[in-house]
Amino acid sequence: MNDGENSDPVSFEEYSIVAQGLQKSFGKLKVLSDLSVKIPRGTTYCLLGPNGSGKTTFIRAVAGLLRLDGGDLSVLGEPVSNVCRVYPRIGYMTQHKALYPDLTLQENMEFYAGLYGIEGARMSERISELLEMVDLADHSQRITGALSGGMYQRLSLACTLIHEPDLLLLDEPTVGVDPILREAFWRFFDDLAEKGSTILITTHLMDEAERCKIVGYMRAGRMLAEGSPEELKRLAGLQPILKLSVKEPEASATRLAAGGFDASVVEGELHVAIEEHRKLKEVLDLVEPLDLRLVEPTLGDAFLRLAEEVQR
Amino acid sequence: MMDLGFALNSKRVLVVARRVVRQLKRDRRTIGLITFAPIFLMILFGYALSGEMSGINLGIVDFGGQDDLTDHLASVDDFDLLRLGSESDAEKLIVEGRLHGAVVIRDNEVRILLDGSSPQITSSIMTEVKTGLLPKNGLRNGEMIGGEGESGGAVNVASLGHDGGIGGVGGHGILGSDVGIGRNDALGEYSAVEAQSPEIVQRYVYGYDLEMMDSVGPAVLGLVVFFFTFITAAISFLRERTQGSLEKFMVSPLSRPEMVAGYLLGFSLFALLQSATTFLVVVFVFGVPMNGNPITAFAVILLLGAGALVLGAFFSNFAKTEFQVVQFIPMVILPQVVLSGVWWPLESIPAFIRPISYILPLTYSSDALRAVMLKGAGISDILVPDLLFLAGFFVIVFGAATLMLKREVG
Ligand SMILES: Nc1ncnc2c1ncn2[C@@H]1O[C@H](COP(=O)(O)OP(=O)(O)OP(=O)(O)O)[C@@H](O)[C@H]1O
Ligand SMILES: [Mg+2]
Repeated sequence: MNDGENSDPVSFEEYSIVAQGLQKSFGKLKVLSDLSVKIPRGTTYCLLGPNGSGKTTFIRAVAGLLRLDGGDLSVLGEPVSNVCRVYPRIGYMTQHKALYPDLTLQENMEFYAGLYGIEGARMSERISELLEMVDLADHSQRITGALSGGMYQRLSLACTLIHEPDLLLLDEPTVGVDPILREAFWRFFDDLAEKGSTILITTHLMDEAERCKIVGYMRAGRMLAEGSPEELKRLAGLQPILKLSVKEPEASATRLAAGGFDASVVEGELHVAIEEHRKLKEVLDLVEPLDLRLVEPTLGDAFLRLAEEVQR
Repeated sequence: MMDLGFALNSKRVLVVARRVVRQLKRDRRTIGLITFAPIFLMILFGYALSGEMSGINLGIVDFGGQDDLTDHLASVDDFDLLRLGSESDAEKLIVEGRLHGAVVIRDNEVRILLDGSSPQITSSIMTEVKTGLLPKNGLRNGEMIGGEGESGGAVNVASLGHDGGIGGVGGHGILGSDVGIGRNDALGEYSAVEAQSPEIVQRYVYGYDLEMMDSVGPAVLGLVVFFFTFITAAISFLRERTQGSLEKFMVSPLSRPEMVAGYLLGFSLFALLQSATTFLVVVFVFGVPMNGNPITAFAVILLLGAGALVLGAFFSNFAKTEFQVVQFIPMVILPQVVLSGVWWPLESIPAFIRPISYILPLTYSSDALRAVMLKGAGISDILVPDLLFLAGFFVIVFGAATLMLKREVG
């Protein structure tokens, strides 16, 4: 049923997750308020947002672990009330590690493989493949409880991938994982997405978000902004900044402002916003820089700006 | 997501069972607890319940005239005798808690002073005094003394009753001065009789003189398995929830009944191991008879253990930490220890509490195990009500536990 090879991409729906007006409160605390999200198949979708903004809650709703107060939600074409029918195609990595500390790595993998009916030679093959991927092959006979934090996280990811799921729900999968492996993970995720898997991932790391096709920025249970990283930066009104060292910054700033540029002096440095790259030359005609660098806005800047706007 | 009605996928059940066994196998401490703690407990119970008492401090105020009695009391190993000069000395020592009782011996009267706080000690002293007063060729121990003969010395018993006000105010000790020390009628008067009374013959229907351990042993077998299974299961299920694995495999093809069934299968191995060790101690160390088929006894124990497991799974939902699981012991285990006829018969439990006894699984397992071990009962003899109740208990709690697992996640 979930053999990766013969899954026909056309037969799947266009969207893996469609959420419309989700509502959820815990007591008086409104955790999801009118949240609508559509996640196309074969996409890496990143949920960003401050602690407590409802990211985990949304993922749990998708996994069918929450009783929603309102809204429509369908997962892999099934209404969420029937989501258990598509459980064999979902891989869910919780924010907890969900491993048995008293089993060996191999035994943990075997357990999760068994739940999905993977056994025999296929199981051994799959397990060694995944342990290789998360760079734990040498540790397969160790007791899981004795692993380091990052290793734990890697094993948890390997267990989640055991059945080649079509939809991956990954709640902060790279916490505590070192940069080299993180890079490897992301290449792996890109690979999976290319093959048609949908990946819903949460993270607090902007460089990871930047790698996703779509980024959704949540705050207080709402979707504040959504789009590709580039779209979001534009949405936040962020422009590349040209940072210049000049002899007389104040005078230069006045001159640039007169020429219609957004220029300011920050700690003795002249900052000029560049709407379009071809405007660079005009700026350089007006000043004589000793040194200069062009700083592209980051997604982090975009969210800081968006958050400020919401506050106002 | 209602999957209670799903057929169980036996492969997944086995996957869970294998994991449970692997986990327990690696946990040496728990294995040790499961196998050796029952042995240790049984040995403790066995000796504590052997019914023999020793170290009873008895005062004697001897004004002469009852040599048989004094000789007899001196010959009782259980008594540490202290000779005293006057009855008031004896009273004082009893009040101070240094004596359990005293016997004041006069030519025409034997007065017994008791602190009355332990029925066993009281009865032990009374029995020995009566025995000592009997003519040498009189009744044998254990037979009843009856009749209201006039001859012999009057035995007056004074109980320094413990109704004397524990927590009584006003600086006087536990035994207030107004408590009837020396009130001769405190327990009524006993009169020793001569040996003309009709002889009483006892006959045990199962042809066996049951000691305390014989009756308690089979029931304790159930208690031990129930206790350890309940606690281990409650903690295991709690861990599934706190470490996030429950949530993770809720989002997998594994259904809740399959998960619980896997646990049942895995745990039953250990319950068998445990009941086997306990069983061997009960039968071979304490000589409790095994008149029935051991397989029948194991079947009862497994059924009880299954009930304990699902009960543990059910209660795990009400605990947030392992410490809170421990708090279930006084709530769940203790009432069963006291009310289910393990130590004393149900008939001795006040009628208004007895309905509770009748909903406790240990009541039925104790009954069934006694029937199998002592009377050689077969499955059909204990089917109603014992096995039926245990099976019903298991099914209902299984359902409740499965539903609760779901609720907790939502
Ligand atoms: N079962 C629950 N009962 C009560 N409150 C809950 C429950 N689950 C979540 N919450 C609350 O809902 C809010 C959102 O929590 P959620 O876990 O979705 O945040 P998050 O965005 O994942 O945060 P983080 O970045 O820290 O992981 C928080 O205030 C949290 O305390
Ligand atoms: Mg979270």
